[in-house]
Amino acid sequence: MKPENMKELEYNSILEQDILDAMRKPHPIYWLALFICASFFVLGMITWVIQMLKGMGIAGINNPVGWGVYITDFVFWVGIAHSGTLISAVLFLFRAKFRNVFNRSAEAMTVFAVMTAGLFPLIHLGRSWLFYWLFPYPNQRQLWVNFQSPLVWDVFAVSTYFTISAIFWYVGMVPDLAIIRRFTSGIRKKIYSFFSLGWTGSLKQWRHYTRLYMFLAAFATPLVISVHSVVSWDFAMSIIPGWHTTIFAPYFVAGAIFSGTAMVLTLIIPMRKIFRMEKYITVDHFDKISKILLFTSLIVAYSYVVEFALAFYGGHKFEESHFLYRLLGDYRYLYWLMVLCNVILPFTLFVGKLRRNIPYLFVLSLFVNVGMWLERFVIIVSSLAKDFDPYNWGIYIPRWPEVFITLGSFGMFFTFFLIFTKVLPILSLTEIKEEAAE
Amino acid sequence: MDRRNFLKILGITSSTAMLSSCGVDKANEKIIPYVIPPDEEVYPGKPLYVSTTCTECPANCGLQVKVNEKLYHEQRSLYPTKLEGIPNHPINRGGLCARGQAGLFRLYHPERIKRPMVRDEQGNWLIITWSEVVTRIQDELQKTRRLGKINTYLSNHTNGTISQLKNQFCQEYGFERLPDFELFSHANIKKANQLVFNKQVIPQYRIAKTDFLLSLGADILETFVSPVEHTYHFSIAKKNQHFRWYHLEPHVSLTGVQADHRIVIYPESEIIFLSYLIQTLFRESHQKRNLPFKLLRSIPTYSLEETAQQTGIYQQDLQKLVGELSKAENPLIISGGISTAHAYGLEVAVLTALLQWILGITSEVVNFINARNYENIGTFLDINNLLHRLDQNEIGVFFLSKCDPAGQLPVDWQFLEKLKKASFSIGLADCLNATVRACNMILPLSHTLESWGDAQPFDGLHSIFQPAIEPQYDSKTEGDILLSLLNNNSEFSLYYKDYLFNNLKSRFGETNTSKLLQNGFIRTAVPESELSINLNQVYQFLKNFRIPQVKRTELLVFAPSIRGYDGRSTDLVLLNEIPDPLTTISYGAWLSVSEETATRMSLKDGDEVEVRIADERTKLPVKKQKLLPENVNLVQYGVVRLLSGSYDKRSGELFWFIKDIILSKTGNHVKLPVLSGSMDENGRGILPHVNEHAHEKEGKPWYPEHEHENYRWGMAIDLESCIGCNACSAACYVENNIPIVGRKEHLLGREMSWIRIQPYVQDNESIEFVPMMCQHCDNAPCEPVCPVYAAYHNPEGLNVQVYNRCVGTRYCANNCPYKARRFNWFDHRLPEPLDKMYNPDISIRDRGIMEKCTFCIQRIRAAKDKAKDDNRLVQEGEVIPACAQTCPTKAITFGNLEDKNSKAYKLAHSEQAYRALEELGTKPAVNYLGKKREHYEA
Repeated sequence: MKPENMKELEYNSILEQDILDAMRKPHPIYWLALFICASFFVLGMITWVIQMLKGMGIAGINNPVGWGVYITDFVFWVGIAHSGTLISAVLFLFRAKFRNVFNRSAEAMTVFAVMTAGLFPLIHLGRSWLFYWLFPYPNQRQLWVNFQSPLVWDVFAVSTYFTISAIFWYVGMVPDLAIIRRFTSGIRKKIYSFFSLGWTGSLKQWRHYTRLYMFLAAFATPLVISVHSVVSWDFAMSIIPGWHTTIFAPYFVAGAIFSGTAMVLTLIIPMRKIFRMEKYITVDHFDKISKILLFTSLIVAYSYVVEFALAFYGGHKFEESHFLYRLLGDYRYLYWLMVLCNVILPFTLFVGKLRRNIPYLFVLSLFVNVGMWLERFVIIVSSLAKDFDPYNWGIYIPRWPEVFITLGSFGMFFTFFLIFTKVLPILSLTEIKEEAAE
Repeated sequence: MDRRNFLKILGITSSTAMLSSCGVDKANEKIIPYVIPPDEEVYPGKPLYVSTTCTECPANCGLQVKVNEKLYHEQRSLYPTKLEGIPNHPINRGGLCARGQAGLFRLYHPERIKRPMVRDEQGNWLIITWSEVVTRIQDELQKTRRLGKINTYLSNHTNGTISQLKNQFCQEYGFERLPDFELFSHANIKKANQLVFNKQVIPQYRIAKTDFLLSLGADILETFVSPVEHTYHFSIAKKNQHFRWYHLEPHVSLTGVQADHRIVIYPESEIIFLSYLIQTLFRESHQKRNLPFKLLRSIPTYSLEETAQQTGIYQQDLQKLVGELSKAENPLIISGGISTAHAYGLEVAVLTALLQWILGITSEVVNFINARNYENIGTFLDINNLLHRLDQNEIGVFFLSKCDPAGQLPVDWQFLEKLKKASFSIGLADCLNATVRACNMILPLSHTLESWGDAQPFDGLHSIFQPAIEPQYDSKTEGDILLSLLNNNSEFSLYYKDYLFNNLKSRFGETNTSKLLQNGFIRTAVPESELSINLNQVYQFLKNFRIPQVKRTELLVFAPSIRGYDGRSTDLVLLNEIPDPLTTISYGAWLSVSEETATRMSLKDGDEVEVRIADERTKLPVKKQKLLPENVNLVQYGVVRLLSGSYDKRSGELFWFIKDIILSKTGNHVKLPVLSGSMDENGRGILPHVNEHAHEKEGKPWYPEHEHENYRWGMAIDLESCIGCNACSAACYVENNIPIVGRKEHLLGREMSWIRIQPYVQDNESIEFVPMMCQHCDNAPCEPVCPVYAAYHNPEGLNVQVYNRCVGTRYCANNCPYKARRFNWFDHRLPEPLDKMYNPDISIRDRGIMEKCTFCIQRIRAAKDKAKDDNRLVQEGEVIPACAQTCPTKAITFGNLEDKNSKAYKLAHSEQAYRALEELGTKPAVNYLGKKREHYEA
């Protein structure tokens, strides 16, 4: 972090300059990247509109596999969101200083991931235009939602998560926006002033700020566990073998943190290079983040073993045959690829040198992202493809709308993230300065 | 804004809103009661029932047509919307097969012929009027008279008044009335009965009265003569503890897997088996009637070992069969179908008749008194004769009515080329087919449901055809056409309806005629006659007994299809949407091969092979068919065009086998829409385990149980009676406006059937059929997971799907262990004019909505409304869902499980009752009655 001999004020001003440099007029490559991401986003949206007009039938989902890529994407994006909150809120409460360089971007990632995820329950609805029936609002027909349904719990969980994450992110950014305000002019100054809420940096304001920040962190912390538990109960509350198992809540939460951390790495490693943040985000930071990655990978590996073991020593014929199907059936290549990406490759992080090898971490994080997407796909699809009655067994192959909408979701996420990097401070200036002062 | 302005604006906006909501057409449907209703009493909302007769196959089951008054294209009119069987009809007893249920698809077929047409010199079609038709035909008749050609009249199976009228017409105009054309002419059976009993008829086989049924080849439950009647009789016969059924066949059929003992026999070796049987019965003195010694001697003798070796039947099976047959009191032997459709088929039929005679033929089981009307039906000898004469340019004016020889005759017989040689061919049909398209003139026939007429399904039974709808197009009945020609002008002074009524009244009298109109049928007495055997004829025949050289070759068998009959019903889209019960293939043609062949040629389902028969070749995708013997390859009539036709020169019976075929892989792969994921049940709890039912320990329930006040609707399905015919599925489609989705959607697994037949292969010996629909579980897994309460449990025990609340998350379908729920992936709509068929009591679901079996809630509702008017509860038998009503064996029983006297309650609590996947704790309302008979197979 701050070199020992440098004076604090000097450090702070260099920090501010670096951040502002990052927000200057973008390089043409940025525009190209933004254009590509935005095109995917628009393509995804158009596909969704076509799907609403023509019917869900243009996708590949069928009988018996009623849920496919869309729900996989949903769980994937919600999972990614969790790591952001872990870094911002949980590590804050644990006073883990290394989080300071990651936390703004991680929080941004959370907010955008939740927004992306939140679209998927709408996309996968047969009658998306009636999505508002999923919300409990008083109406003349005196109809309420079915509170027994895990999908309704999802609605509450995801909307709560979005609300809290967005507020937390915004509140944390207010002092930083004030700094940016100082260096801008014209209409941009007006916008930053509006969003910095008249922050003056007085002692009273700082006191409120730190109290609120801690309160929001404490509020967001249980959400890390609860939201993904609720999402996992979409499956665990059913009767389908392969879904109906109690390990899902901790398994999915660990998986979420795992995939989220990988996404953090995927985002921050290039960002660090492009915006020349090497002196703020150091190799030590990556070392510590990879330890989180390794730890959650071990939990996920343990869950795979437990699932498998439960099926066999439980003696339940449906569970046994389902797990054999997962390992040896139609989707076996995906299953084993998933094991490679999620268990075998992260195992290498036990080696210290690899933890500190940034290109290696980047590649590994991509594999983990793929592996975690596959994990959700395998769980959802293989459980539905072969369940109780052999007459109903089928297979699911995604078709073009699912591909385009998935690409669209990535497009949406990266579009927002790219815009974020240019419009908002990518490091938490406040906290870095705070750390330097200590 | 001050208060005054605010109130002004408020007033204006709200009154505008109120005014604009008026005049919304969709909401206001004007229901204006009729001042002068059409026939009968017609009230909007109350259906009308018309009794008539089904003509999808020659069996002529009694049909009750439900006619609804409904809105179609902004006009209110009467439309038939559902076909059902007449409850007490002697043939079908209220049941109706899948083909019968699909009859409306023919009435409203998009390819109905709408106007009379004639070809001009260039070969283009010109639309003409009926008077021009008469003139033109007169002209052509004059031409042929000058040229000295013979005019011929060919139609399908015809009897009743129209047959009389045809004879009259043919006589007056000098037409030769050709024998009726039916692909399944049962020529060998008729000829055998002629040889043995001097009666060239097909008797009525009364399976209900027998205690031992031996059938060779005859697909009695699928298409043989009168399948629905046989099926019903079978369900009655089964109730007798001592009833046993042995079925011998060279291939695998729906009938075969239903028998107690299905025995595979080498093709053409049936006479060896029958000879052995006759000789053994005599040797062990089990015969009830004797035969003269010289006759007996002309039947070859085989030892047990020889018979077993030549026929492929295990010795212990032979012995068991003989043993049980000898102990039977009223045995019934039926040979037909594939076992009489080969070079030795006539011998098989003769020996069968002989066997039946010596075992004591009684009119109770083999009823020659009420024989089927098959006298006028011609054989392939007649067809060959016709083709020969066509080739020789002998034929002048040629009427082809309601038959499709171009589509059904073998390809290499070149019927179409020869038809062109007739001077002037006239095709009469309701829908376009290959024959009619090739004629010089096409005359549209009214569909049976638009016509007057009568039929005589068997001697002593007369049934009526009554119109249930005005002719939709410019069509006429055949009777009207013939009368207009007879009366020599287009203004007929006599309509066929009047002609018919005159005829009926003169035959039956006034009272009986009105009874006929009311009930749809009447029975008349037929003179009894003693059956006697013509020993001399039999001896003369057996003298030249030919013993087959049973050589094992690669065989191609053409089998009748329960969906297509002889191919005539394959143009009805419903019968393609519903799968073939043995293979669960829906759309498309395929070749069924044995598992051995598939292994030998490394074939997977869908791999294409080329079938070579002499010079004919055809390419077909294969399907591995369990239980099919090695070297036997199976296709279905109508699904695959008959490739080459040899026939027996003695009787004119078509051969259903083609020998020495060569199969070779083409390397292509065709995606076959196979609806079943797997036919191995693996003891999962859908079928009852042998000697064991998966009863869960009945612990105390954790949650409060549902309370039912007056009704708890439930079902009991007898798996022993279910033959897998798919009639229930067809009825459900028509009753509930279920979308027809087509082949592409089937390939994705998106069929929409609410009730389906699930076939499971048991121990590699037999196939069990399980009708599966929404089980209306007490503890339904689909209910708690719907986020919007679209799936809820109503106070009468039904699991109700509220269509307009469903947002389409599909969690309910995922959570259903029976996968009974169906999602609307698109907005499927029947194309015009098939959409006239929609049941107005049921809404049509849009895309994005989940649907499933409702236990025909609209019928429950109707019954409850009626009961409410009478101030009482719904009684037993008042509510019958469509599936239960159409089932030919009455396997499905529906009722109120709160009523301890109801049949459904008693069956549900019987010893055989179990529930599918009971261990999951879903507590279904559908109870299955498990099979308890033992099966084994040679």
